[in-house]
Amino acid sequence: MDLPKTPLSNSALLNRIKQYHWFHSIPLRPGITTYGAKTEQILEQEERALISGIDFQGRTVLDVGAWNGYFSFSAKRHGAARVLATDSFTWTHRYYRGQETFELARDELGLDIDSLLIDPTQITPAIGTFDIVLFLGVFYHLFDPIDVLQRMRAVTGQLLLIETHQDLADRTQPGMVFYPGTILNNDPTNWWGPNPALMLHLLQSLGFARLLYRHYPHPPGTPMTRGIYACLTPEADLALVERLGPEWRELDAPGMVAALAAEVRR
Amino acid sequence: MSGVASYRWLQSIRLGPDLVTPGLQTEAELARLEEALFGPINLAGAEVIEVGAWNGAFSLAAKRRGAARVVATDHLAWTLPGSVAQAATEFAARETGLGIETRVMDPRGFEPSFGQFHVVVATEFFTQLFNPIAALKGLRAITSRLLLIETIQDGMEENRPVMMAHTLPTAYGAAVAGWAPNPEAVKHMLRELGFDRIFHRDHPTAGRGRGLYAALLPETPEEALTGFVALWTSLTHPG
Repeated sequence: MDLPKTPLSNSALLNRIKQYHWFHSIPLRPGITTYGAKTEQILEQEERALISGIDFQGRTVLDVGAWNGYFSFSAKRHGAARVLATDSFTWTHRYYRGQETFELARDELGLDIDSLLIDPTQITPAIGTFDIVLFLGVFYHLFDPIDVLQRMRAVTGQLLLIETHQDLADRTQPGMVFYPGTILNNDPTNWWGPNPALMLHLLQSLGFARLLYRHYPHPPGTPMTRGIYACLTPEADLALVERLGPEWRELDAPGMVAALAAEVRR
Repeated sequence: MSGVASYRWLQSIRLGPDLVTPGLQTEAELARLEEALFGPINLAGAEVIEVGAWNGAFSLAAKRRGAARVVATDHLAWTLPGSVAQAATEFAARETGLGIETRVMDPRGFEPSFGQFHVVVATEFFTQLFNPIAALKGLRAITSRLLLIETIQDGMEENRPVMMAHTLPTAYGAAVAGWAPNPEAVKHMLRELGFDRIFHRDHPTAGRGRGLYAALLPETPEEALTGFVALWTSLTHPG
């Protein structure tokens, strides 16, 4: 029998929050927000770009690399029927202690979200297939992103949402840059920067039938250093993406990759 | 002769004084690549595996150069419907009397338990692989000393490590059919996989469009390095 949890006092909650390193700034109560390296303002911009235009109502959702859980929570609040939050690196990291942070925030928000400790390199359809898969800020952290992209395809029923660092965006030839050591942002966990042309063809290779792209919303002035991809399977319900705004482009339309590359060169 | 004619050949392999298989790649071209790859090393007594062997020209060459054991493997070229490339390789091995083994193997599937080989050789490596990163990990898993790679190259104008893809039309647009790295990308990927000395040279007949790489594990004896001179340059220890 689960006993009802006694709510923490505001000061006890603040003390719990202070025990952890946070990446996401998540409002938990009026006046109490986790102290994330990523600000509330940036996360709200990301949420508007990534989540708000997608029809989550009644969908099943897998969040790969959930960390503190901001986008899992957002998907649930946007009407998802079931959300499975997964992570491994940050959840088992001695310093980040991500799984504890996720559970603290989830419990405090009272959201019914499942969690599974699993690395993206181990994900298979054995964990289920999902209408929507969130693959946000993960691609470039993988030594072998091609293998994991294949795994993401295998668990995506309708829509794979990818947010990633990118590079070579001024080129129409598909390719990616390798970042050994700590070259990219002084972070030894950054490995690859793909360009939109490569993402298009990798995703087409995996059988995605329609591909939409938009620039990352922040920071202004450097729109192509990160990109957002909405990848629809042949079976996808098009209602999923019919509310997406004009900032989304049909990446698979003739000439679109060249137009994006020309924007960067300007 | 009827045996030779019953196969389609990619590689021209000498089976006897007056008999060469009619391959698209000439005997002279293959001989120059063989010398570029194997000339710097001593294969006497070595255990060698070839990945992507096609008709086995380099496997047979390794055996001829004194290797104790040679395993020729291929995946795509030996398993495509109607392919006779594996049977052709086995025919060439019988005719030459050079005892090589053959195995259908996807390089992504190599595990250390498959065996450890002093020399692993893979030609035309990145060209036909959707995932060359997984395949490189596979090669590393079975290498005990030296990995030799021949590949198409691209992104040579970039001073950063890059790997460019080439595509083929499919039902949904165009799929990634293979890759072409630049030397910086090959160097850094191999270093991350544990190789510590990596040498590079241009292809003997195709020039800068293709490259040869020799990657040595730390436990490789120093004398194995001495042949990588002249046209070879060290990517990891320049100067």
